[in-house]
Amino acid sequence: MLAIPHTKDGALARLVAIFGSIGPHREKRVHYIFDLGDTDYQEIVLPASGPLDSIALRVPAAAWFERELRDQYGIKIVGHPDLRPLVFHDNWPDGVYPMVDRVKDVPWTKREYRFLQVQGEGIAEVAVGPVHAGIIEPGHFRFSVVGDTILHLELRHFYTHKGTEKLFEGSSVSSGAMIAESVSGDNCFAHAVCYSQAIEKACGTEVSPRASAIRLIGLELERLICHTSDIGGLCADVGFGVAAAYATRIKESLLRASVDCCGTRYWRGVAVPGGLRFDCDSGNVLELALAVARAYSDFSEIAGLILETPSIQDRFETAGVVRQEVARELAVVGPVARASGMKLDVRLDHSYGHYKNCQFEVPVMDDGDVMARARIRIAEAAVSARLIQETANALPHGDPLVPVNPRGEVQGFSAVESPRGELCYWLNALDGRLTRCYVKSPSFQNWPAMPFAAEGNIIADFPLINKSFNLSYSGCDR
Amino acid sequence: MIGDVIGQSLRQPNRIIPVEALLGNCDGSRMPEIVAERLTPAIAQRITEVCPTGALGMEESGGHGCLKLSYGDCIACGKCIESGAGAVVRAKRFTWCGVPKAQIVRLWDIDGCLEITPHTPSSDEARGQIHSLLQRALNIRQLDAGSCNGCEAEITALTNPYYDLERFGIHFVASPKHADMLLVTGPVTRNMAEAVKATYEAVAAPKLVVAVGACGCSSGIFAGSHAIVGAVDAIIPVDGYIPGCPPTPAMLVSGILKVLQRHVAR
Repeated sequence: MLAIPHTKDGALARLVAIFGSIGPHREKRVHYIFDLGDTDYQEIVLPASGPLDSIALRVPAAAWFERELRDQYGIKIVGHPDLRPLVFHDNWPDGVYPMVDRVKDVPWTKREYRFLQVQGEGIAEVAVGPVHAGIIEPGHFRFSVVGDTILHLELRHFYTHKGTEKLFEGSSVSSGAMIAESVSGDNCFAHAVCYSQAIEKACGTEVSPRASAIRLIGLELERLICHTSDIGGLCADVGFGVAAAYATRIKESLLRASVDCCGTRYWRGVAVPGGLRFDCDSGNVLELALAVARAYSDFSEIAGLILETPSIQDRFETAGVVRQEVARELAVVGPVARASGMKLDVRLDHSYGHYKNCQFEVPVMDDGDVMARARIRIAEAAVSARLIQETANALPHGDPLVPVNPRGEVQGFSAVESPRGELCYWLNALDGRLTRCYVKSPSFQNWPAMPFAAEGNIIADFPLINKSFNLSYSGCDR
Repeated sequence: MIGDVIGQSLRQPNRIIPVEALLGNCDGSRMPEIVAERLTPAIAQRITEVCPTGALGMEESGGHGCLKLSYGDCIACGKCIESGAGAVVRAKRFTWCGVPKAQIVRLWDIDGCLEITPHTPSSDEARGQIHSLLQRALNIRQLDAGSCNGCEAEITALTNPYYDLERFGIHFVASPKHADMLLVTGPVTRNMAEAVKATYEAVAAPKLVVAVGACGCSSGIFAGSHAIVGAVDAIIPVDGYIPGCPPTPAMLVSGILKVLQRHVAR
């Protein structure tokens, strides 16, 4: 039985991740990672050769992690309130656990999956997805409604599950970065940096100040692009076309500026263990910073417009509220957490890389509605734009890449504040080849809060609420 | 306030990119191109070894040792460019977007230092036809079969004021029943296989299917995973392929137009 650690003020520590691994003697192990409010995360490893006691009733955030553990490792979970399959759908046979054995040609079966049934007079079910109306990733939403009002929303995800964590196994530590970039394409730089940091920690490598600084620019640019796109998306969802089109133009200007600086639009193939694959020319970095300044000035104009337009306020305010208790119990992260009163940011709480040299505050709001999440993104974009300017203006010198030496068995853990929140990589490598790589994406942790945000809202507001979370399906499903 | 923004918007320069500048453009994609004169057996061997997805390979053709480059498998990681000693460079133009499967693979005779595969018609030759082509409307339904969302991000960009796909009469529709073309991204996952087939069935004939991105063309980096079924053509018939990881908006426009052009000519 796991003794859940407490923080200094006596509260239960925040759950960061639960995942499995296979030990040197083929034994199953379970890793728990907690945040106690100290600089370092706390990791607890338990043997899992037998059944495992669930902690989901005390720590609701553990629910999906434990279900994933059961699906992937075949670890029996005792005392969990909902043990329906999570990762594998109706087509996957019982008793096949890909993280334990190498599986091939898995037979197709038909299992039954039961959605929770809400019963009563006048209750209807609305099934949406997996294929949605628009250029969006696949997932299934099952609404139980009375009239327009959502009584209950059940999520069914993992349509984009690609067995990514298994693909890491056997890959060399240097090429693992390419797999990490394909976990969630729009946040590929955060994934590549987080993966690389985990390798660097495992091998005791210190990247150069220059590589750290350029990584910071890439990470903050990714945040700025992501938040600009989200604000535009929110406007599109309430029919505010001018601002939506404006945001797409600003986003494109940043992507084009990236090509001139690092060769790719989304900074793919730039970060690798040991630093960066190549150096970015200081002049090009300054050009990028100029483009960021122009883009941010345009962005702040539409941001002002959004906050002052009554019809927008009317749609954003009080829609999709995530109460602070819910946010805490589900241990949500990123802008969603900060909009619901949780002061949480890896850049400050567990600082890394060039952030250690930067002074900044993160915005926190209490309302927990769509407006709060929009305001958080607007305020964060300002911080990102400023950090990019400051870093580009004082770019340190140094080698872009230092050698990484993964000799013997090494283990590393790293966390990065991606645009969607706390992203973590835990990995183990033997003689330069990965034997396990676990990815905790912020989307995996935030999706379970969506039903709480949707409850009591009208179904027509759901796209707006969903957009205000802006979660990655592929990041969650992996 | 809104007046100010519209005023500001009107003062902005026109950012729309003319179609001629989009066709064949691949800036920001890092797709590789072989410089045949510099190719040696040693370089061919080395770049084949560093390629993570098997897009580069050696094979025999007509008694000659050949280098094979399959753009459908290429995730544009740039490793061959790094280790190719000048024999592999970033493509300045890329005309393999929208080609049928048979044309997506190129072959070079290593000893003779020349390309064996026939020259694909470049976008320049196609230019004349584009305008007559664009008098038609095309409705596209985008379908994510399990992608990482990198391709989605670039497809979304097609509607921004730089690319403005709607100016060509092309637009994205919400239902497969309204669509002429399916733009399919991602390796087809086990969990999406059924939905992909059902979506394809729901599109009225005649219909076009375009596989997008390394994953859509070949499963890309996810090849061999237990949780995927394979590339898009493992599940439904595909008319054209748009390589890239992810393909840039310009590559997407080039590819969509090339598939359309071939279809109209038929």
